[in-house]
Amino acid sequence: MSTYVERFPAEAKVIRSAFYVSFVSLAIGALMGLLQTLHRTGVVEVFGEPGTYYTVLTTHGVFLVIAFTIWFLVGVFVWAVTTSLDRGVENLRLTWGWYGLMSFGTALAGIAILAGFVDDWPVVGDISADVLFTFYAPLQAHPMFYLGLAIFIVGTWIAGADWFRSWWVWKQENPGERIPLPTFMVLTTMLMWYIATLGVAVAVLAFLLPWSLGLLETVNPLLTRTLFWFFGHPVVYFWLMPAYMMWYLLLPKISGGRLFSDPLARVVFILFLILSVPTGIHHQYLDPGISEGFKFIAMTNTMFLLLPSLLTAFTVVASMEHGARQRGGEGRFGWLKALPWGNPTFTGMALAGLMFAAGGFSGMINAGMNINYLVHNSFWVPGHFHLTVGTAVALTFMAATYWFLPQLTGRKLFSRPLALVQVVLWFVGMTFMSNAMHRAGLLGIPRRTAEPWYDGFEFEAGVGSVGELNIQIALGGTLLTLSVAIFLVVVIGTALNGKSSEIGANAIPEPLSGPEDSPLVLDNLKLWTVIAIVLVVLAYTLPLASIIDRGGLLGPGGRAFPMSLDTLVVLAQLATEGALSR
Amino acid sequence: MALEEPQQKRQLGHDEFDPVGTLALIGLYFLVLVAMWLFMYFVEFLGNDPTVVGSLVTGGVV
Repeated sequence: MSTYVERFPAEAKVIRSAFYVSFVSLAIGALMGLLQTLHRTGVVEVFGEPGTYYTVLTTHGVFLVIAFTIWFLVGVFVWAVTTSLDRGVENLRLTWGWYGLMSFGTALAGIAILAGFVDDWPVVGDISADVLFTFYAPLQAHPMFYLGLAIFIVGTWIAGADWFRSWWVWKQENPGERIPLPTFMVLTTMLMWYIATLGVAVAVLAFLLPWSLGLLETVNPLLTRTLFWFFGHPVVYFWLMPAYMMWYLLLPKISGGRLFSDPLARVVFILFLILSVPTGIHHQYLDPGISEGFKFIAMTNTMFLLLPSLLTAFTVVASMEHGARQRGGEGRFGWLKALPWGNPTFTGMALAGLMFAAGGFSGMINAGMNINYLVHNSFWVPGHFHLTVGTAVALTFMAATYWFLPQLTGRKLFSRPLALVQVVLWFVGMTFMSNAMHRAGLLGIPRRTAEPWYDGFEFEAGVGSVGELNIQIALGGTLLTLSVAIFLVVVIGTALNGKSSEIGANAIPEPLSGPEDSPLVLDNLKLWTVIAIVLVVLAYTLPLASIIDRGGLLGPGGRAFPMSLDTLVVLAQLATEGALSR
Repeated sequence: MALEEPQQKRQLGHDEFDPVGTLALIGLYFLVLVAMWLFMYFVEFLGNDPTVVGSLVTGGVV
């Protein structure tokens, strides 16, 4: 058995290139995270004017949850499809094509955001996109941001088509065979993504982009919010499903065992496909324009969505236990000691899973319609998603990198002890930061505020003090930044390391209960897609109709903030002058 | 040594493997969840005035 780069050198280059964009985004996003933590907790007053804080917050959000995650996962998906079908991509130029498109989109949106750090650019004037990751109206970005985002998403669509094509060709050559599990996971994830991104595509192309270009005077803010959350909740599963994939495929192998059940894994990914999208309205429990009944439906769907995560907890832990027992582990809890805790890939993923269990609890609180009012828009919410996307996903991706990089480069991991310190440091830092954020949220401390200092008012903590919470958040944030710095050192060190012949094979062990035990209907992707679409129609048709009926397509309007048309006016003037002088 | 090379001492097939450790861990997680829910009850209803139905004293009028 060979390493991945020996078997698929050209594809390994694509994956490496995707990973490197992902890691650069991680570095930029993490730096912004540190600035924010120090500012929010009052350790250092970093930003003089509030506007800069929102530029930093947008950079942190978009570079981490759009660029870092999605660039990493497209790399992982190329690996999963080529490895499990045992064939290279059908057309390398197409693969580099979507890579190029995604890069172009990332660059456009990234430049629009980063340009916000300077008030007035020569020639082009003011460019900014301080619209946060949740970029709905009335916040308005420069058109370049929306355009970049749209191009990026089209890039991911073509990437999905590329993987579907590989599977299709494989299927013609292997009639009657079950879809290999890793490819099955990629295909279900991409089907979910196609449905989810329809919301954001309509929001951007039909409303936000024309509005930022000045072609539309006003938009309906509630409509763009709802369309955003149509995409904004399932996108979390777009981050999470590749992390789950790593837990299902890599964790059992590294634990020294085999996946407990292939059928259960398929069921989990199907449940995500059908339930991820019709839940977005649970982010809008406090939006006055949507009636309670629709919110209740969204809540019910959301609670069902706990099921695949609980199934995953069982299957993944059982697979780890299988490994531990094969390594000689005994007893009800004693087997935990037999797990390979010295391996950074294992320890990182196991700790990520543990934190996700805690995130599951705070997620249940968020999802409950009445109890959500207690924590809505408070510091609790960033506390929650730093456990989920910020640890379950990010730490899993970093830990998986320590397995992937040697496979993709043929080089030895730069420093295993350093990598181990990195994943543990992330866990410790996040324990401090996230726990304190949750507690601060319960006191009513708001999220997303540039000036968290008030005159004549103090938040009162039942246990401890606000000062203590702030110290924990600042300490946690600093440890997390240190952890990212160590991660980058290990990545760069590995990329420059010597070639090694001691890298293990790129092979995934057979599951204990294989595809032969799973009902054929699980592989009927058409059926599951139709069910997913029906659920979306049921959950969204009436709310959308009622929003449009009340406010109109272009809505009751309102003033956009901030206005960013200066650039276009200047460019139009320059073009006109240029044309006239000819 | 390759990263993923496990030190296997025995082979366990599907039928010999009984995931009792998993059951124990998931049971523990369930207990933690129950405890956390109880804790949230104190945070929501006893620590402060109810945030959804108004104040207990006024019987939800305010």
